[in-house]
Amino acid sequence: MRHEHVKKLVFVSAIATLLALALMAASILSPKPILLVLAMSVGQGIGTLSLALYLLAIVLDLQGGGVGDNALEAAREAGSGAKPPAAT
Amino acid sequence: MSSINSINSIEELLKLVAIACAAASAAILVWYLVRRPPLGRVTKVLLLLGLGLLPVLVALTGNIAGYEFTLSREFCGSCHVMGPYIRDVADPKSQSLAAIHSRNHKFGDQSCYTCHADYEMFGAITTKLTGLKHLYYYVTEYAGTGPDGEGGPPIKLYKRQDLEKGKLTQEAFNKRMNGVCGQCHSTYAATWVEKHGAFADDVRSNAQICIDCHNEIHPTALSRRPGAQKAAAEEKK
Repeated sequence: MRHEHVKKLVFVSAIATLLALALMAASILSPKPILLVLAMSVGQGIGTLSLALYLLAIVLDLQGGGVGDNALEAAREAGSGAKPPAAT
Repeated sequence: MSSINSINSIEELLKLVAIACAAASAAILVWYLVRRPPLGRVTKVLLLLGLGLLPVLVALTGNIAGYEFTLSREFCGSCHVMGPYIRDVADPKSQSLAAIHSRNHKFGDQSCYTCHADYEMFGAITTKLTGLKHLYYYVTEYAGTGPDGEGGPPIKLYKRQDLEKGKLTQEAFNKRMNGVCGQCHSTYAATWVEKHGAFADDVRSNAQICIDCHNEIHPTALSRRPGAQKAAAEEKK
């Protein structure tokens, strides 16, 4: 369940970052007053928010034992009884 | 190689870096969205690049390039209301004060900012805040006006409105006005003293301002066209 949340957060974060990048790139390629203001406010706001979402996803992921260990995650989801590594 | 040779300024270099970082970041994100790989260590590090490091670089370099561009005459002229001003300063035959100064190769490309920016300690910040106010007025009051802003409210003279509203004292206003000219004109050059001998002390003490006499600054401005004064007076009534 937590793994799904993490994946969703990363997905939303990636889409938001693409949007922010589009705004910032548009203001660089076509520097009009409104575009510049939008890029420096909305664009960077979305970018910061998406980075925060990604960091939140990483924290959630680490709290859940880390989905980086795919075999362990798969085993856990399948209910095979594999235990997460003990905290050191 | 030729594209590297065509980079002539720090601003262009920053723009190139920003676009390259944006492209790299977008490539990583599109790869992730299309392939949806498991969130292993490599994916996390790549996403940290694509979601964190590279966009931060885009924002930093883009901001600097953006701020640099906002100093340019081209940027000020991108609002149609500024059309008459920009055409006048770009006219090689114009003898207006703004046009003469805009032909100076040292700052001609940034002549609007050079003369209109506040020059105090936080001048750059207050100037940008004023610019945001201009953008607000542009969107709310000048968006549907004629090709040169005809039909919109008259453009107030630089800082004069602050003086009229009592936000600036006469002394502070004079100091600001002469401070703009004083960026280059020290009032101590021999030719200047020769021509201005009678007023030199008054100008230096800000009792008299340069534009009292040198007042053909923007002669083609909307507010100075025939009939504009009458229209402004009628609007006041």
